[in-house]
Amino acid sequence: MTREIRCVASGALAASILLAVSIAAAASARAELLPAPEDVDARTLARRAEGSLRSDRTYLAARMVIESPRLTAPRKVAFESWEDAPAKRSFIRIREPAKDAGTGFLKLHPNLWMYIPRVERTVRVPPSMMLQSWMGSDFTNDDLVRESSELDDYDHAVLGIETEPPGSPGRRAYVVDYIPHEEAPVVWGKIRAWIDIENGMPLAQDFFDEDGERLRELRFGDFRELDGRHVPHRWELTPLDKQGHKTLIELLEIEFDAPMKDDVFTKRNLKRNVKRRR
Amino acid sequence: MGLEWRLAWRNVWRNPRRTGLTVAATVFAVLLVILSVALSTGMHDKMVEDSVRVHSGHLTLAAPDYLEERSLEQSLQLDAALARELEATPEVRGWAPRVTSFALVSKQSESQGALVLGVDPEREKSVTTLAERVKRGRFVSGESREIVLGELLAQNLGVEIGDEVLLFGVAYSLESAYELFRVVGTLRLPEPQLERSLAVVSLVDAAEFFVMGDRVSEIALLAANAGRTQQLRAALSATLADRGILAHTWQEVMPELDVFILLDDAAMYLTLAILVVVVAFGILNTVLMAVLERKRELGVVLALGLRPGSVLRVVYLESLMLAAVGLAIGAALAIPIALYFQHNPVEVGGDFAELGKFFGFEMLILTRLETSNLVGSSLTILGVAAIAAFYPALKASRSRPVEALRSL
Amino acid sequence: MMLWRLAWRGAWRNPRRTGIVLTAVAVGIAGCLVSMALNFGLVVQLVDTAIETELGHLQVHARGFHANPKLDRLLVDGGVEVDELLRGHASVRALAVRLRGEGLVSSSRASAGVRIVGIEPEREAEVSLLRRSLSSGDWLEPGERRVLIGEELARRLQVEAGSKLVLSVQDLSGELTGQAYRVGGLFKTPSRVIDQGSLFLPLAAGQSLLGVGDAVSEVVVVAADRREIPVLQASLRDALGEAVEVQTWQEMQPLLVYMVESMDAIAWVLYGAVFVAMAFGIANVLLMAVYERKREIGMLLALGLKRHQVMATILLESLAVTLLGIALGVAVAVLSVWGWRLVGGIDLSVFADGLSAYGIGTQLVPVLRPSDLVSPVVVGVVAAFLAGLWPAFRAVSALPAESLRHV
Repeated sequence: MTREIRCVASGALAASILLAVSIAAAASARAELLPAPEDVDARTLARRAEGSLRSDRTYLAARMVIESPRLTAPRKVAFESWEDAPAKRSFIRIREPAKDAGTGFLKLHPNLWMYIPRVERTVRVPPSMMLQSWMGSDFTNDDLVRESSELDDYDHAVLGIETEPPGSPGRRAYVVDYIPHEEAPVVWGKIRAWIDIENGMPLAQDFFDEDGERLRELRFGDFRELDGRHVPHRWELTPLDKQGHKTLIELLEIEFDAPMKDDVFTKRNLKRNVKRRR
Repeated sequence: MGLEWRLAWRNVWRNPRRTGLTVAATVFAVLLVILSVALSTGMHDKMVEDSVRVHSGHLTLAAPDYLEERSLEQSLQLDAALARELEATPEVRGWAPRVTSFALVSKQSESQGALVLGVDPEREKSVTTLAERVKRGRFVSGESREIVLGELLAQNLGVEIGDEVLLFGVAYSLESAYELFRVVGTLRLPEPQLERSLAVVSLVDAAEFFVMGDRVSEIALLAANAGRTQQLRAALSATLADRGILAHTWQEVMPELDVFILLDDAAMYLTLAILVVVVAFGILNTVLMAVLERKRELGVVLALGLRPGSVLRVVYLESLMLAAVGLAIGAALAIPIALYFQHNPVEVGGDFAELGKFFGFEMLILTRLETSNLVGSSLTILGVAAIAAFYPALKASRSRPVEALRSL
Repeated sequence: MMLWRLAWRGAWRNPRRTGIVLTAVAVGIAGCLVSMALNFGLVVQLVDTAIETELGHLQVHARGFHANPKLDRLLVDGGVEVDELLRGHASVRALAVRLRGEGLVSSSRASAGVRIVGIEPEREAEVSLLRRSLSSGDWLEPGERRVLIGEELARRLQVEAGSKLVLSVQDLSGELTGQAYRVGGLFKTPSRVIDQGSLFLPLAAGQSLLGVGDAVSEVVVVAADRREIPVLQASLRDALGEAVEVQTWQEMQPLLVYMVESMDAIAWVLYGAVFVAMAFGIANVLLMAVYERKREIGMLLALGLKRHQVMATILLESLAVTLLGIALGVAVAVLSVWGWRLVGGIDLSVFADGLSAYGIGTQLVPVLRPSDLVSPVVVGVVAAFLAGLWPAFRAVSALPAESLRHV
């Protein structure tokens, strides 16, 4: 009695997105592939791309739009998230829709707590449940478990330069293939990433199985400058083996190295339903 | 023609003792065949009934792929029209709609995964015995926010009757679903795995919780008896086809039960076949002896102009009459016995019965007499008698009048 | 003995008639024996398959495991105590340990909940049929990161031998961890449940994944002879004490026992019926014989043969024919069973779906035990005797003078 399990992290959601972003690959076949310069090191590119969306303490506010054949209209979930990566803790508050507003998730590794305002209850979510779809989106448990690191679990190879990378026609990008190590807990056979030549930001990623079939695509867009980084404010994930499914995340606000008080990561904070950040 | 019949009849009773013994053996066989088949039919039907009344019903209506995937995505619409149709169809003895999906059940902060089953309490009782498996407390009534847990699940969560538990999961609309429920009872189930994970609520609550609207996961139907399952399916086939709903028979859902019955029946029919064959030999012997004894008479009769074909028929008729008498008496004895146990089943006791009860099987000596049983038995006995008569009949019709007369 | 000779000659006075009765008896006996062989063959299969698929004869767990098989119900010593107790024990044919947990297995296309079983490849091959059930790929080697899954599960996950899988579990300390493995091989066991939902990996890999150190969940014991099981169970219980539960296969699968017993129930009634029918046939023939030989019998009586001797002759005649028929029937039955076994039994693959739910293979092999031959023979002899009683009485009820008058 199992169904296809898609899971999304709790506070690790932010981390997962940041991590997933470190990979970009050419999705469309029609664009040209030029040879890359000799001195370009794939691993450096990967590290830069991975680091571009991370910091030790990241705050973000975002809206997630979920499309599914089950839904007559796309489902929109707005949330705020605080992540303290070194301490492995994070906090998420749901702002919209009204029915879910006030719901809170607190991750204090390895436990996940959820607060449900309507019944005023805090429950510990067993890890098996974390593997369920988070708020109904398409993210997989690969993102959740976070046993894998895009840098350490993969070998990287630059294939060339793409003049028309998928989703970002005006830019030029390095096409980098990420091949997972044998023991890496990653189901993909390969991840192909497109990394912007100029600013080192990830533009797109394609996920393949071991037979080379493309199973999902992740596209980044709406790049804006922030703290010297070009941050994509639009992340779109589309599974390719199912019809009519898509998850889109629009960043409303993001802050790197944000100051965070310890009392954000407490159960008490879950109940407080804080409207403003900090 | 009338002559042949009278001749045959007279020949049969020429040696009453011999005929009597053969008839007695035939009666015995007929009795056993009819009663064995009736007993097997009755008990297997009961077994099927007990099994389908655990959960599946004789027919399970569901969307395509439901049985494989079992997710909210494979749901069917139970609108007023379908409900009316199910009510109006006479072949439907009872029907029970369900909404089922996964959710977490938690008391205080500890939670466990559970299979949530939303049922309509009244309709469910008309199809399954789920409500009778209550261990503590009671089953769900129509009241809102009541929940009944498997006993092991309740124990693992440390839940008592009257406690509040939180149910939370993902609805059909992909929204989060959470609601507080009050525990009103616990259930004992034969499968520990199920008892560790089942949570029963009312259909209305489940539909609201999972945001199903008028959609349900499945509908279990009960037919008049196991034998009428196909008719039930046929009666609804048009409606179901229109709506794209599949009807799964209990054999599809529980192939192990089907196989068990098949094997059991096979073993029984094998032994009955042996029995009938042994009796057939008895008939053969009797008829053959009768023919051989009347060599002289046959010779005379043939010399006088009776056609060999006639002689053949007479011998056949003798055999058939023997069988028919045995059949008549056997049936006359068997039918009342079968009918008695059909309406007055006797309970079986002992360890064996206790074990059966635990799995939901009531151990009864119960028969069911069906016309097909009587027709089949009759045809079999008569057919066998006809085959047994082949050799003697042939021999009789080939008697040479000259040789026969010579033995005068 | 003269009576025997008389009886024998009497029996063959009318060879055709006697031949028919003989055949009837032979068919009856052969039929019942073959039917018993098939029935028992099914039972043997049911039980054997269950035992060989996973159950073994005995299993040892930490107390409370049967009620709630959670990961923390462990045999902390890794089953070493049981191993030492039973090492070299004459009644124990094989022994192995297993670790049981639950988790989620993911391929690039799908995920499914699975029962994770850590096994010792070498010893597991001796206690279960898992190794024999491999349909593709290779058996496990200790120390590898390869797993075995059922064909059905592989279909669901859309993988094959060599594909990569990620196992996510909640280990003993509560942490969620994941590890990658390759599919080493696919299996098809008689059990649909195992094929759909079990994943096997080397014990050490399982122990490290689930974070249990050296502990295991169960010890499986296969006895040399099934009759030794209760003794083994008792001695294990005594030696291991309260912390541990020792169960037989019957205790773990009562449904199996129920099925076996319910199949026996009706069989005996029907066999009895066959013998009754045979008895009727024999009696009939004897009566005819007696009537025909009234003159001869009268002469014998007149010549000084006692009544009881005449009766004995009749009874012996009955016995002779019956015994001959039984011998023939037994021969036919034995040959049929032997022949069936040669061709591998009856093919029941039409019913594979239902059978696999019970864990029965699709070949039904009849099994005829020497002890099975005893009861039909005994009952046959008794039937012959009873069948001969009335004719025997009738034979001597006529007075000598009467008999002579039938000349």
